[in-house]
Amino acid sequence: MSEFSVIGKRLPKVDAQEKVVGRSVFAADLDLPGMLYGKIVRCLKYAHAKVTKLDLSEAAKVPGVVKVLAPGDVSSKEYNTGVLDLLVPMGDLADQYLFTGWVKHQGDAIAGIIAKTEEAAERAAEKVIVEYEPLPVYLTAEESMKPDAIQFHPEKPGNRACTLPDQMPNNAYGWGDVDEAFKNADIIVEDTFYVPKVKQCQMEPHAYVALYDDRGRLNCWTSTQMPKLVQAKLSRFFNLPMNQVKINQTTVGGGFGSRLGMVAEPETCAMAMAVRGRPVKVQYLREEDWIASESRHPGKYWMKMGFKNDGTPVACDAKFISYKGGYYTHGSGVVFTTGSWLIGMYKFGACRYKGETYYTNQAPSGAYRGYGNPQTNWAMEQMVDRACAKLGIDPVEWRLKWHKAVGDDSSILGMPYKSCGLDACLNEGAETFGWKEKRQRYANQLGAKRRGIGVAVMNHCSNASPFLLEHTACTIKMNQDATAEVISNCSDLGTGGHTALQQIAAESLGLRMEDVHMKVQDSDAAGFDIGAHASRTVHMGGWAIIEAAEKVKATILERAAKHFEINVEDLVINDKKIHPKGSPDLFIEMKTICDQGISNFVDFSTGKTIGVPGQIVEHSSHFAAHNAPPFAATFVEVEVDTETGELKLIEAVTAHDIGRAIHPPSVEGQLEGGFQQGAGMAMMEETYYDKNGLCLNSNFTDYKMLGPSDMPKVKIILVEEPDPVSPYGAKSCGESGLVTPTGAVANAVFNAIGVQISEGPITPEKILMAIKEKDGAF
Amino acid sequence: MKTRSITIYVNGEAYSLNVAVNRTLLQVLREDLGMPDTKYGCGTGECGACTVLIDGKKSILACLSLAVLMDGAKITTVAGLETEGKLHPVQEAFVNEGAIQCGYCTPGMVMKSVSILAKYPKPTEEDIRRELEGNICRCTGYVKIVQAIQKAGDALASTC
Repeated sequence: MSEFSVIGKRLPKVDAQEKVVGRSVFAADLDLPGMLYGKIVRCLKYAHAKVTKLDLSEAAKVPGVVKVLAPGDVSSKEYNTGVLDLLVPMGDLADQYLFTGWVKHQGDAIAGIIAKTEEAAERAAEKVIVEYEPLPVYLTAEESMKPDAIQFHPEKPGNRACTLPDQMPNNAYGWGDVDEAFKNADIIVEDTFYVPKVKQCQMEPHAYVALYDDRGRLNCWTSTQMPKLVQAKLSRFFNLPMNQVKINQTTVGGGFGSRLGMVAEPETCAMAMAVRGRPVKVQYLREEDWIASESRHPGKYWMKMGFKNDGTPVACDAKFISYKGGYYTHGSGVVFTTGSWLIGMYKFGACRYKGETYYTNQAPSGAYRGYGNPQTNWAMEQMVDRACAKLGIDPVEWRLKWHKAVGDDSSILGMPYKSCGLDACLNEGAETFGWKEKRQRYANQLGAKRRGIGVAVMNHCSNASPFLLEHTACTIKMNQDATAEVISNCSDLGTGGHTALQQIAAESLGLRMEDVHMKVQDSDAAGFDIGAHASRTVHMGGWAIIEAAEKVKATILERAAKHFEINVEDLVINDKKIHPKGSPDLFIEMKTICDQGISNFVDFSTGKTIGVPGQIVEHSSHFAAHNAPPFAATFVEVEVDTETGELKLIEAVTAHDIGRAIHPPSVEGQLEGGFQQGAGMAMMEETYYDKNGLCLNSNFTDYKMLGPSDMPKVKIILVEEPDPVSPYGAKSCGESGLVTPTGAVANAVFNAIGVQISEGPITPEKILMAIKEKDGAF
Repeated sequence: MKTRSITIYVNGEAYSLNVAVNRTLLQVLREDLGMPDTKYGCGTGECGACTVLIDGKKSILACLSLAVLMDGAKITTVAGLETEGKLHPVQEAFVNEGAIQCGYCTPGMVMKSVSILAKYPKPTEEDIRRELEGNICRCTGYVKIVQAIQKAGDALASTC
């Protein structure tokens, strides 16, 4: 018998019905009166070039064209599509323009066309006359950091967009003296890992509608993950007061970080400003996704670890040099967080992390689920297994012994972990997976096909504090019938966030699910929220709702106390009724109190009004008091065909330290989907470029992702040890699922063939090369 | 661009249109007929988001189908699967098994699933996974989608 009414229930998601009949509205589905179509004209020929001639006159003559926009039209201000500039005073660089005269990556926008039909806009784009002066192309940090390289921005000498802040001694994050500590190591393992440029590949292509209406309000329909932050950014960019900018968040067809900020809202809104009164729709082609929206930060991750013969980890030294792409966007974020997940994992005697990111001529690197954690997992977990192999220590045993736990410094030095279910994750996961038995079974294999097993662990976060601003507001408004309107700007990217928040609202108000309506996706109605990132929705949205709900209940109890003429402490709320303790038959209904607050009719017999006046509307403005890192362990079994190099996934078990699963199907879904992305990063996903920086695989055929037949059997174990500082004990799961599969798949391959492949993704070609280098000897 | 008159039947209703010969079925559905339930995912036949049914059971990709070649065809989109407000067993299963996250692949995925069960009344898991190739989902890892199709298959089989 559950202690909760709705928390933990496997009910259908609140948006499932409209999605399964195809009636949920995505931005591309909008059809507004008078709507025009905008086309963003992009440089597709060069990855780095100056525009020497731009002539839009022929394009403007195409029948159906309403307006053409050149660089400087509507605005020549700089902006930054990321959001960190609003969340931390780090001096993030605004280096992007609506339309540019200096192309910094293939796909950079050079002009805009507004027309009556999409086809007219396309035909006009073909008539744009443009000439370029090609510039040298830099595809790696190593190339762009050279002293003779063209400088992308005057404020970033050496093309180093960001390094760890000067407030950190030697621009490093960590503890102890690693150089000293290494002297005590019996063995040292060291390598440089290559992290590929992987893409979120959310199924909904980017699409926007914007309207600059007759009240001077800029309305934008967008599936951004961060509606209130985009409202602030557009307000600043277009010099409009915030109450003149309205963000209608449409159904988000997948985010994964691709919409963690802005994508083409600036261009779409600029077009709308140019044709006041007419809505303008801009839709990305799928092939634009890879070249004109942000990816994961790829790069070279150097790592060195020292151990004693008994496995004691004496030191870890690491440096991640990432490729920023053409613009700054999330430059100050991933460069740091990559190291923080490393910091939070193991009890090294000393640890040091440095990070740098350099401009390159590719679509910008931005935010992608995990935000540096998958990069760390890829390198860190392989290094640990390399050491375990040398020392003859079982990888699960080593992790059980040396992972950080309650009381140890988390990824935030100075803030210890308050909960850690990783032991249970490792033990239950290993048991379910059959770790010990498989290790024995696969210890001595013959034949061309070799099985291998691997494990990886991780820690993540349940919001972005204390590094970034963490603030969510919520208003709860009670109707006459005691149904509740919960007004919030928290986002649901398909994650199930709105469902979980509605469950939290119902539980904390003492109402049924159907008594609660989540008023979301409207920037006018709700107060501040940051949006969906850092796996924060349940933690921050949940606490904001609970705080407002407590105020609602307190008000109801106060009024009931007046009604019964007794103290509040002697009352109980149960099943939408309030009664004195011990006298359940003597009750007043919640709806009576709510109705009296609104109607407050006069009792003609007494001449007095009935009940306490005032509609019950309560508000909370929750700033994070805590973070609540979840942990996880993933076990993977693979089969390698040592003659063809083919890598097959056989089985996967992920045990996740969720604290409490508010909506179990959504938690499982996040971890299952995350597995597809993490394993994909390990095995096959990469955005490829030719030597001129032109993308070779901006399509679903050539950007390889795991399909239904590539996925293994996946088992999810939810370890529920309620976290003391989380709503109903729930920690996050939104990003975690992608992290551990990267290390686990790599470690399984190592176990199968005895060689580690440090350059991701682990393709069949690389497997064959690795086996060949090792002489194929087992 | 030359045009032709066609009549197509969508979800049981006849529509007579004069369309450009290069217009796709996807464009006709979404733009000419104002039916946005069928989605654009790639426009090049690689993702399956635009999957619809011919004659209630054969799946086709609307983005690769020329509208003029659909003259006389009986097409079902996801909005036409319900009967008198009652969800199709595949839709029911998707909802109950948690097979829907962002929902963008869902229309195409549901239609493909209906066609799979029409072809394989008692599909094995391998049949389902093989037949689903070509319908991309980035949210679910296909885990609960496959479970939903299995459940729907059982439900449909038990009503025969």
